[in-house]
Amino acid sequence: MTLLRRSLLAALILPALAHAAATIDAPAPAFTATTADGKTVNLADFKGRTVVLEWTNHDCPYVRKHYVSGNMQSQQKAATAQGVVWLQVISSAPGQQGFVDGAAAQKLNADRGAAPTAILLDPKGELGKLYGAQTTPHMYVIKADGTLAYKGGIDSIATPDKNDIAKAEPYVTEALAAVAAGRKIEKASTRPYGCSVKYAS
Amino acid sequence: MRSLLRPFLPALLAAPMLALAAPPEAVTEHVQARLVSSQAMVAPGQRFTVALEQKIKPHWHTYWLNPGDSGQATTLEWTGAQAGAIQWPTPSIQAIGPIVNYGYEGRAALLVELTVPADAKPGSRFKPAAAVKWLVCKDVCIPEDVSLGLDLPVSAEAKAGPDAAQIEEWRGAIPKPATFAVQLKPAPQGVRLSGPTASVTKAYFFADTWGAVAHSAPQALKAEAGGWALDIPAGDEPVPVGKPLSGVVVLTTAAGEQAWAVSAAMPEGAGKGPGPADLSAPEAGATPSPESDLGLLPALALALVGGLILNLMPCVFPVLSIKALALVSEGNHKAEGLAYTAGVLLSFAALAAVLIVLRAGGQQVGWGFQFHSPVFVLVVAYLLFLVGLNLSGVFEFGGSFTGVGSGLAAKQGLAGSFFTGVLAAVVATPCTAPFMGAALAFALAQPAVIMLAVFLALGLGLALPFLILAFWPAAQRWLPRPGAWMDKFKQFLAFPMYAAVVWLLWVLAQQAGPDGVAMALGGLVLIAFALWLRRASQGVFSGVATLASLALALGVVHWIKPVAAAEVKAEASIEAYSAERLAELRAQNKPVFVNMTASWCISCLVNERVALSRPEVKDAFAKAGVAYLKGDWTREDPNITAVLKAHGRSGVPLYLFYAPGAAEAQVLPQILTPGLIVEAIAPPPTASRSST
Repeated sequence: MTLLRRSLLAALILPALAHAAATIDAPAPAFTATTADGKTVNLADFKGRTVVLEWTNHDCPYVRKHYVSGNMQSQQKAATAQGVVWLQVISSAPGQQGFVDGAAAQKLNADRGAAPTAILLDPKGELGKLYGAQTTPHMYVIKADGTLAYKGGIDSIATPDKNDIAKAEPYVTEALAAVAAGRKIEKASTRPYGCSVKYAS
Repeated sequence: MRSLLRPFLPALLAAPMLALAAPPEAVTEHVQARLVSSQAMVAPGQRFTVALEQKIKPHWHTYWLNPGDSGQATTLEWTGAQAGAIQWPTPSIQAIGPIVNYGYEGRAALLVELTVPADAKPGSRFKPAAAVKWLVCKDVCIPEDVSLGLDLPVSAEAKAGPDAAQIEEWRGAIPKPATFAVQLKPAPQGVRLSGPTASVTKAYFFADTWGAVAHSAPQALKAEAGGWALDIPAGDEPVPVGKPLSGVVVLTTAAGEQAWAVSAAMPEGAGKGPGPADLSAPEAGATPSPESDLGLLPALALALVGGLILNLMPCVFPVLSIKALALVSEGNHKAEGLAYTAGVLLSFAALAAVLIVLRAGGQQVGWGFQFHSPVFVLVVAYLLFLVGLNLSGVFEFGGSFTGVGSGLAAKQGLAGSFFTGVLAAVVATPCTAPFMGAALAFALAQPAVIMLAVFLALGLGLALPFLILAFWPAAQRWLPRPGAWMDKFKQFLAFPMYAAVVWLLWVLAQQAGPDGVAMALGGLVLIAFALWLRRASQGVFSGVATLASLALALGVVHWIKPVAAAEVKAEASIEAYSAERLAELRAQNKPVFVNMTASWCISCLVNERVALSRPEVKDAFAKAGVAYLKGDWTREDPNITAVLKAHGRSGVPLYLFYAPGAAEAQVLPQILTPGLIVEAIAPPPTASRSST
């Protein structure tokens, strides 16, 4: 009796959960967010284009690994040159490491030569929690049809050492290449690595 | 000579050796790291243990083999020696908002087996070195790295060093390979890991690879005498069929906490996710939840036994004694027994009917609900007061209420028996919950017919002893002979009744405040006055005055108004329960004790007196930093009813303990002792508090 009820409940809840979280091959969770220059963007605005979400925290050693080495900037430039929309997301809560206002976020990118399409400010962590972002960096690739194609690490070697970048398998670059070629992504879900996203606790 | 030189050796050798031998100790901003050898001298080819000790700055942590959602495990890269894999001590949970990490706070000692080269020459030195990297985090993360090395003399015979005992002590913190088999199978949201350990009260599984399970998801424990089962939601890389899931399971039993290294393969043919069979048929070992998943027959049997036990309850026993006295005297006992049974059963049926109607109306109800109403409490107080006065001999119901005395009309006796049955059922209800929690929770969740059956079984249990006495004269021989003592005993029984009235008035005080109590006491005076008038006066006036007084007393019932939310007793350390506050405290990783109580619940009050308000318990709460939340169900509160229901209970008391970082509450027994609480809240070593 109770068991039956429980299974019914599970049957009802599970699909709902699946849609709420970021699941590979499922529609990426819809969102509206504010950019560093004060505009409002909606994921639906980018329908028809590939979208990359990059969770970042400029003071995190793992983020610094990819910016000091220039790896992140070159990936951003290569992707946007192909028409990909690259969105940096800052989910650090006020008072936490990596929290910046719009102006500071733009200055940071100017200083380090970063070239994302836009910076999304998420100080309440809503977008981060919607996607289940756990680390900085934590990367997501959304296909032109709005389904989630990739989530996980930027590459395969989980260290803060920039000397490891050349040895690592560049998951995001590979995912974008596969999406552009209409191929299946070999590793669509990998371990994200880095600092924890500094949500309000 | 050598020993004389030794103190100076490091200084002498420092400059030329710097590039060759790393020091055994290094200090970074957040960690003091040290390599510790179990050996003072090593032999060629010997395998021995070294430890990397990390003394970590307070509130910072380093990571376990699987760091969890973020973070990075400590690594050791050895040169100059063959090294085994790191043996990791059981980690603790560091939760930061929605992110869960596995690691170490305070101190960690990672053990490694090193092998001395077989061709090492006695008299030479063995100098293993390690590049050690770790990530240390609080609210921010800092990668740190140091180079550490050992410098040990090689000799034909090995010799243990002064740190050997320390290393053995650290080895105690490494999970032992499980001495039992664990099973793995798919579960609705992930996997179910199960094992045979009995009476597990808490369990947590640390998967040793990322993605196999969702680190931040609650793990649901189902435990009983025959074993435990842990439902663990899957992570982003679920365990494939045929592949093993391995890690560390930490089981808490009455004997304490024990960590075991376990590994189990996902069985072939388990398929992609759960099939219908997995949902509908729990296999042996994985057990249904203990509280509310009773079958109908066990529930009926439990209800019957519960009803029998009710006869011994302080609330019911005096009423029963009165009935037993009636049997000692003359009369048609069989008819009386049936009338009494009918009274009990009808009352329980009526109660069930009220519950069914309320439930149909969408009300959240639970056992003892009728005591939520001050009107009900007052009416029962009046009733018990009347019974007390009757026993004291102030008045008699048309000759007799109890059947003592002669010349009774059979009808009056039967009516008396019937109403004794009703009374027994009414006063029994607040005593029922602690014994009948499971059966009643079952009943309340069932269709009306089954619910009615359970309630009738409960009533039958309550009526059974008297019924047996009535129908089986032989049993009456166990009753004492009639005599003058019966009157004395009867008078004595008035006092438990008065005591019950005192208790009810105290309950009323919580519900209706001082004004309510004053009115209730006034009502009691009016009742006494009416009874005196009845005896002292005659004729029409007598009847009218008596009725007027009684009417006035009952009128009080209308004026009784519940006061606004009962404040939880002003005790600084106790907060009123709310789901929000509980979530907030749990998010802060604080241990939380929840006490769901009601002023009419006797077991609750007893527990507070003998356990919860004891100094040793208060000290333990203070020491462990336990937040104490108290939910008052004296008046119906749907939020609390929901919590009771979630834990398979239909009434108070309910005691829950949320260990920091624990996914599930530990449900404490309904009868508490100070030792039991202290033990339950003792902070386990694997669930530490962390602000990161």
